[in-house]
Amino acid sequence: MVTRTIRWLLFCVFVLTVPLPMLGPWEVLAPTARYLLLAVVTAAVMAVEGAAGPVPLIFTLFAGHALLYLLLSWLAARLCTRLVNRLPAHARTGVVVAACAALLLIALMFDLYITPFGGLPHSNLLGLLS
Amino acid sequence: MKRVVLALLLPALLMPALLLPTPHATASEAPFERSEQRSPCTDYDPLRRAFFGDTHVHTALSFDAWGQGTMAGPGDAYRFARGEALGIQPYSSDGLPSRSIQPRRPLDFAIVTDHSDLLGETRICDDPSQEGHDSLVCRVVRRFPKLGYILVNGHVYSSELPSRYSFCGSGGAVCLRAALGPWQEIQQAAEAHYDRSSACGFTTFVGYEWTGMPGGRNIHRNVIFRNATAQRFPTTYIETPTQEGLWQALDQECLQAGNGCDVLAIPHNSNVSAGSMFTVSSADGEPISAEDAAMRARLETLVEVTQHKGDSECRPGAEDELCAYETLPYPRMADMAHVNSEPGQLPPLMYTREVLAEGLLQQARLGINPFKFGLIGSTDTHLAAPGLVAEDSFIGHAAGTVDSRLQVPAFPDRAEFNPGGLAVLWAEENSRDALFAAMRRREVYGTSGPRMTVRMFAGWDYPDDLCSGDDFVEKGYAGGVPMGGDLPAARGPGAPKLALWALRDPAGKQSPSHPLERIQIVKGYLDNGRSVEKVYDVAGEPADPDALDLSTCTTRARGSDQLCTVWSDPDFDPDAPAFYYARVLEVPSCRWNSYLCNRAGVDCDDPGSVPGELATCCDTGIARSIRERAWTSPVWYTPAGQR
Repeated sequence: MVTRTIRWLLFCVFVLTVPLPMLGPWEVLAPTARYLLLAVVTAAVMAVEGAAGPVPLIFTLFAGHALLYLLLSWLAARLCTRLVNRLPAHARTGVVVAACAALLLIALMFDLYITPFGGLPHSNLLGLLS
Repeated sequence: MKRVVLALLLPALLMPALLLPTPHATASEAPFERSEQRSPCTDYDPLRRAFFGDTHVHTALSFDAWGQGTMAGPGDAYRFARGEALGIQPYSSDGLPSRSIQPRRPLDFAIVTDHSDLLGETRICDDPSQEGHDSLVCRVVRRFPKLGYILVNGHVYSSELPSRYSFCGSGGAVCLRAALGPWQEIQQAAEAHYDRSSACGFTTFVGYEWTGMPGGRNIHRNVIFRNATAQRFPTTYIETPTQEGLWQALDQECLQAGNGCDVLAIPHNSNVSAGSMFTVSSADGEPISAEDAAMRARLETLVEVTQHKGDSECRPGAEDELCAYETLPYPRMADMAHVNSEPGQLPPLMYTREVLAEGLLQQARLGINPFKFGLIGSTDTHLAAPGLVAEDSFIGHAAGTVDSRLQVPAFPDRAEFNPGGLAVLWAEENSRDALFAAMRRREVYGTSGPRMTVRMFAGWDYPDDLCSGDDFVEKGYAGGVPMGGDLPAARGPGAPKLALWALRDPAGKQSPSHPLERIQIVKGYLDNGRSVEKVYDVAGEPADPDALDLSTCTTRARGSDQLCTVWSDPDFDPDAPAFYYARVLEVPSCRWNSYLCNRAGVDCDDPGSVPGELATCCDTGIARSIRERAWTSPVWYTPAGQR
């Protein structure tokens, strides 16, 4: 597995699984993908219905979180890739795949996420995507 | 000793007179007029009886209730009010409710007041056969309920410039057309559950809630129609975004319609209005005119002083320490999420007592009092569960806050919210005309939930031993006016006398009640153009605050089953306009969160053992006990020269 692939793979898994808080008074723990999705949904509503009321503010909130956490996820992926690159070449793929699989498994098995903008207050990755 | 003897004798002497009809006496005002076809009630009492009900009920037809998973409609709400069980959310995938609730005691009347705003949109987003069902907004609302609620709430309810969504079509025609269905359902359910037989077992009214909240400042009104004749379409905040516009619409489309339509509007939650609910200047900044004041006085004879989202009687932090009761720590509904204002920062005219005082000032300026309110309580339930007010079994009211759509939350509501209260109407019989007349003449009171019975009369010549006879009510009506009235002109020197009588909630084993602690009189008056308030303890005495054991919710306080007194104002100034209302207090009892946390076995001395979702149980900023209470409507005194 080449360095670029490792970096992208880790980045995607981090974006999909790592629970991150919403800054401010909200009790939210959601993966970056969720913030991204909410930003896209809010942007779509804004495009169709206009930017009246709190929609621009809410969009800014979600988009801001999404951009910030995308950046952090990218930096984390780069850092992890560097660490992985110190391993012997034959071990890298196994370690990366195992780490990604573990993250996905944990995200699927446990209610890691607090998502008050959805239907369930607490959910796992499956609940988040279903 | 004398007090003890009196406390023992009073119930035996007075209870029959309070509860039983006395056919030979007459009330102070002419009986109500009939405006509808119905059988006369067998149970008719010219001295009037207390009817308990809920004037503020949301069902699945309200956007926010539907978004919280409420599926019960107006008919279900009325069945619940009459004592039947109600299935509530969460629902299984095949539509079966996971929980069932049942009132311990039925109500005498109830009014479904679904939000007129978004009535059509809710139907469209819920019903796949409706045009617009697959619109983006409906999809977002269904897929992301909380986000949808915030977006729609901001677009409509709390917007300064509310508008219809694009799926509503030109001029909102699609949504307005879709709203006719639920509006008819509301009227049909009210008709179907109104007992027009001579048994007069249960009364309903046609109603709705006009849901204005410009900038997050709540100015909501519940609109109640006297009989089956209502507006063709309920007034909405979207099309009519000012309270003055609402009154004009009610005047033109109902009062002036010449079809027997009659209507009242009841403001509620001034506690989160940031002072916008009871304005004394018009939109252009000019002081309100006598015409404006007359319009308001005609349509708004009542105010909902307490409900699920807090108490609006008086300003927290005031000299009256009992104002610190179910207060919300923010001035606007929109601040619910994040602001903790100090009481001193709250804008003026947010609480009923100061608005009543402002009414005296306006009366002096305009010759008419626009804020002459009777006081009631209600729930504002969003579970279609009117009268669900018990503290010991509170399950939340699902009012757009704690989500119970798919899961039952361990802590069922926001900690600062409460189960809400009841409206009590003194009427000759349980019919629409009789109850509506009570609301119009303000012979009503509100309670925080318990069903205590409270009488108040004001006059000049009541004998001091009025309580010792069995003709308290006859003499009360004959010698003065009941709560909600205007003191007649004095026939000589001397202070007005208030005759007060309160009876503990009779309850029963299934719904335990607490004894009465005391009766207070709250007086507001003008002193050189400045409003002043005073609170007097007039019967009973404060209970020992340590008598309540919060860990078991039992109390050693004895209190009274009944309190009665004739009180004369020791500070009466015949030249000062004034109002007087009574506040009846129960001994301290556990607040709903104490019952909940005790049941869950929460031990705050061992923080590690407290589950995260019950952490609020150990928040010392949340009250754990309350004094349940009732507030009578005021009586007003106007000096002879100012009448």
